[in-house]
Amino acid sequence: MNIVLIFLITIFSVSLFFYGKSKTKTISLKDNIKLNALPKFYGYYLVLWCSIPALVFLLVWSLFEPVIIKSIIIETAANQGAIFSDKNEANLIYEKIKAIHLGTYFGDIDSILRESALAYAKFINLFTNSKVVLIFGIIIASVIYSLKKIKNNNKARDDVEVILKGLLFVSSLIAILTTLGIIFSLLFESIKFFSVINIFDYLFGTNWSPQRAFVRDASSITAAEFEELKDAFGFIPLIAGTSFIAFIAMLVAVPIGLFSGIYMAEYASIKVRRISKPIIEILAGIPTVVYGFFAALTVGPFFRQVGENLGLTVSSESALAAGLIMGIMIIPYVSSLSDDVINSVPQSLRDGSYAVGATKSETIKQVVIPAALPGIIGSVLLAVSRAIGETMIVVMAAGLAANLTINPLESTTTITTQIVMILVGDQEFDSPKTQSAFALGLTLFIATLILNYIAQRAVKKYREKYD
Amino acid sequence: MSNIKIKSKNLNVYYGDKQALFDVNLDLNEKEVTALIGPSGCGKSTFIRCINRMNDVIDICKVTGNIEMDGMNINDKDLDVVSLRERVGMVFQKPNPFPKSIYDNISYGPKIHGKGETKSELDQIVENSLKKSALWEEVKDRLDEPGTSLSGGQQQRLCIARAISVNPEVILMDEPCSALDPIATAKIEELIDELKKTYTIVIVTHSMAQAVRVSQKTGFFHLGKLIEVGKTEKIFKNPDNKMTQDYITGRFG
Repeated sequence: MNIVLIFLITIFSVSLFFYGKSKTKTISLKDNIKLNALPKFYGYYLVLWCSIPALVFLLVWSLFEPVIIKSIIIETAANQGAIFSDKNEANLIYEKIKAIHLGTYFGDIDSILRESALAYAKFINLFTNSKVVLIFGIIIASVIYSLKKIKNNNKARDDVEVILKGLLFVSSLIAILTTLGIIFSLLFESIKFFSVINIFDYLFGTNWSPQRAFVRDASSITAAEFEELKDAFGFIPLIAGTSFIAFIAMLVAVPIGLFSGIYMAEYASIKVRRISKPIIEILAGIPTVVYGFFAALTVGPFFRQVGENLGLTVSSESALAAGLIMGIMIIPYVSSLSDDVINSVPQSLRDGSYAVGATKSETIKQVVIPAALPGIIGSVLLAVSRAIGETMIVVMAAGLAANLTINPLESTTTITTQIVMILVGDQEFDSPKTQSAFALGLTLFIATLILNYIAQRAVKKYREKYD
Repeated sequence: MSNIKIKSKNLNVYYGDKQALFDVNLDLNEKEVTALIGPSGCGKSTFIRCINRMNDVIDICKVTGNIEMDGMNINDKDLDVVSLRERVGMVFQKPNPFPKSIYDNISYGPKIHGKGETKSELDQIVENSLKKSALWEEVKDRLDEPGTSLSGGQQQRLCIARAISVNPEVILMDEPCSALDPIATAKIEELIDELKKTYTIVIVTHSMAQAVRVSQKTGFFHLGKLIEVGKTEKIFKNPDNKMTQDYITGRFG
């Protein structure tokens, strides 16, 4: 039904566009007046007036219709003698009634249900009809209003600009509100978690084994269990593993990325640059899951094999394999960002250095890189925040056990891996185990936020220097 | 008559397919200021960039013909560009101090050429260079501040100090005052007068008045050709060529 309505609204709008355009033309010809805007603006004006009020109404209606119908139906069912003790039972009965109406219910149908189903059908019908009538009413009213405006040769250009500005504002508002919503949901779930687990036990605990808190209602935990849980949610091994893998990744990505950035910016001829830059950037386009199975199936076993030959014990899910592949994934970020900042170092600085007799590499080392340093630091920090937020590679290649280790050949785990592990499978949404995922998410969010902030500050500071 | 320091013979420069200089024959006298004038794009800057081989930086640039300094062929493929540039310093149109401290801006060149091995030697070089560029009194108490924190005129004198820090024989100046106000310009001109006692100077300028004030010899370029060259006095009072006459009186350019 809604799709038909939207289709109709679109057709009306399009035809009104052409109507408005030609109408204003004839007005201006007939009365020989100067229009206040181009004819197409009158067309846009009609389109916006025809579509927006009707679509907004449709949206609001669709949001509230099910809720209202549900409360009415549950009340009628109750009046007819249906018995339910809490909200869940009421929901169940409502779902049954709906199923009967749709003809997909195969259980016993008693008189109460049948009556309610009939009432449901009646209400659905009533609501649909009134929706259609109201929408057409709205369309007619707004079109009449806007046509009248047009006949008076209004300033359609300004009005269209105002409406468009409003639309753009609403879009950004939605983006901001969703972000805020996500942050608050993280925050509230985390607060629930921290009401069971002391925040200091979480931040400074060295043992992570959330499975101990499996399937347990947070509100009914006994004192003994609480004591035991206290050291099940230690954050230290996770942040250590995350930082460790990110560190290995940066060891790979920073030198290679930076050097290739320098080569691209300073040495490569235009032809080489035109071919090789896109190729490096392709690395950034490979899905992380592909890197992930590459790390898990090729690199990990390869390291284990090499380790065995050398007489070392290498876990097949090692921090080294995950970090190495993650580093390769990050190379294009470092390389293309540092290429950009090096390119924006003014040529006059290089000339000044050449003019006192410095060679190319001396100039790069002593003038270009120092001048580009804030920007390079910014690009590295962005890469770090990318590395600690990366999930797929570490889930596949880094292992699950929260080892507190600095041996790159052992398996270790990261914050993101643990969030995945906690939320995979059946959940008990009030157990501290599940809630800990939100706490982890919040911590990760804050960490990346701080890194991004510092990175952006560094990049900005750099920009101000030469603009 | 002073000695000829730099001698160019049939010098041609090409940027890709486009020829920028046509058979330029120009002699620069030692310890004298030579001014190069002419409308924009006439090849003045291209010419001075041949003297310290700065055109090497541009991939598509090709130089043919002869250019000699004290009998040494500058255009020789085997010439060591680093030691050439140690002997021929350059100051650019826009002040371009490095984003380093004032001290490091000056000590950069000597360090590269392995001069001033001890700290005190380096300090001495920095002090001398800044004194020669008439900047010492203004900056001696803040040598560790960034070079970019100075005013435009001070920055340009810092760049001159940087150029003379390696003790060159020739200083090339590519419109050194075009980004400066009249007061800063006057200071630089005063400085050029002082420097010509020690160095051979070539200055590219768009200001006739400046050419008259600072130079002993003037060359007029037009469309890549050296139209006329001679004593500054003669060029500005009684040029041989009609085009020179028209340019210096402002009839074209």
